[in-house]
Amino acid sequence: MRSQPTAGLRVALLAIAFVWSSALISAHHSFAAQYDATKPIEMRGTVTKVEWTNPHARVYIDVKDDKGQTANWNFEMASPNILVRNGWKQNTVRVGDQITVKGYLARKGERMAIAGAVADASGKPLFASDPTDIGR
Amino acid sequence: MRHRAARLVLFIMFALVAPASAQIRVPDTPPPQTRAGGSITAKPPTGPVPHKPNGQPDLTGVWLRRAGVANITQLLPQGEKMPFLPETLRRMSTLKSQDDPQLRCLPLATPRSSPYPFRFVETPTHIFILTESVHAFRQVFMDGRTHPPADELQLTWQGHSIGRWEGNTLVVDSVGFNDLTWFDNYGHVHSDKMHLVERFTRTDLGHLAVAMTVDDPGAYSRPFTLRYTAELMPNADLMEYICDNEQDAANIDAPADAAVDAAKLLGR
Repeated sequence: MRSQPTAGLRVALLAIAFVWSSALISAHHSFAAQYDATKPIEMRGTVTKVEWTNPHARVYIDVKDDKGQTANWNFEMASPNILVRNGWKQNTVRVGDQITVKGYLARKGERMAIAGAVADASGKPLFASDPTDIGR
Repeated sequence: MRHRAARLVLFIMFALVAPASAQIRVPDTPPPQTRAGGSITAKPPTGPVPHKPNGQPDLTGVWLRRAGVANITQLLPQGEKMPFLPETLRRMSTLKSQDDPQLRCLPLATPRSSPYPFRFVETPTHIFILTESVHAFRQVFMDGRTHPPADELQLTWQGHSIGRWEGNTLVVDSVGFNDLTWFDNYGHVHSDKMHLVERFTRTDLGHLAVAMTVDDPGAYSRPFTLRYTAELMPNADLMEYICDNEQDAANIDAPADAAVDAAKLLGR
């Protein structure tokens, strides 16, 4: 059962992603060295683990592909400190939540990506990292 | 009753002899504990510079530097370039992005900054600068001592810092840095001959003007001064930052930005 994001949510996520991708122009090398700005992704899946850790918080989600195969993805976000200062709580995203993530693929790590924006279970779009300074 | 009077006399005596710098005021009511870290979008407060009872500016508070984290040249005067020595360019041309000490959660070394705030803690003999990034602190001796002689100076991540007040400006003079740290994410480096002078001037309640003069004859052909203004984060505390989940270094294999540019400047 995979519900699709609502139209309103899609618009909100696109708005965040637009601001985010505009900021990529001035991205520092640690972003470009690790992530591929030419490979944007949008995934929806079930949260299997949240790591509220430094230097980065991470959210792991099970994502089904077109053939129904499930794979676990590791999304890097900003640090808990930066997320909290941008309005997050530690339990904003929980195991079992269905979330939508927009971001960019890692160049090297397998099934790794950076999340620029996350839509939580309630559909509320949230800042997840700033590519001009991913808060390391 | 007599005991109470004696305690009162003792209290007044203590209050009179307590050093002025220990008399930083505590608010009458605790601040609202809404979010421990404060908000990144909150505007710095406006108002006059607060002073300690001894007349010196009170620098306490949680300060955030926003500029020059990715590339320190953003803090140079417009049009000015970093005065690299040739050996500095050669060293920078070999740097890998994954070797950034901060990426590996090693300490920040001034003049580097991070997206995390810092806080001054003042005692009569020391000022401590607590940095949220990597949960570290700097120790500034305010007791009039000098730097150790060269053969006793240890080379460390944070260096040896002595401070003094020049009017309303706190001046921190530091030597004894190792040469392992970068100035920014870009990959500007320095040598262990770096002499750093920082000048902190609180210009109003919400702003702290900082000028950092780097004099490093081992890496740069002349001194240069980097300037930024830190903002006071209202209702903010420092947060814990223990780096126990570092996964980036193993997943990066790329030259540092500095390496690409240094190679061009060297004509390679």
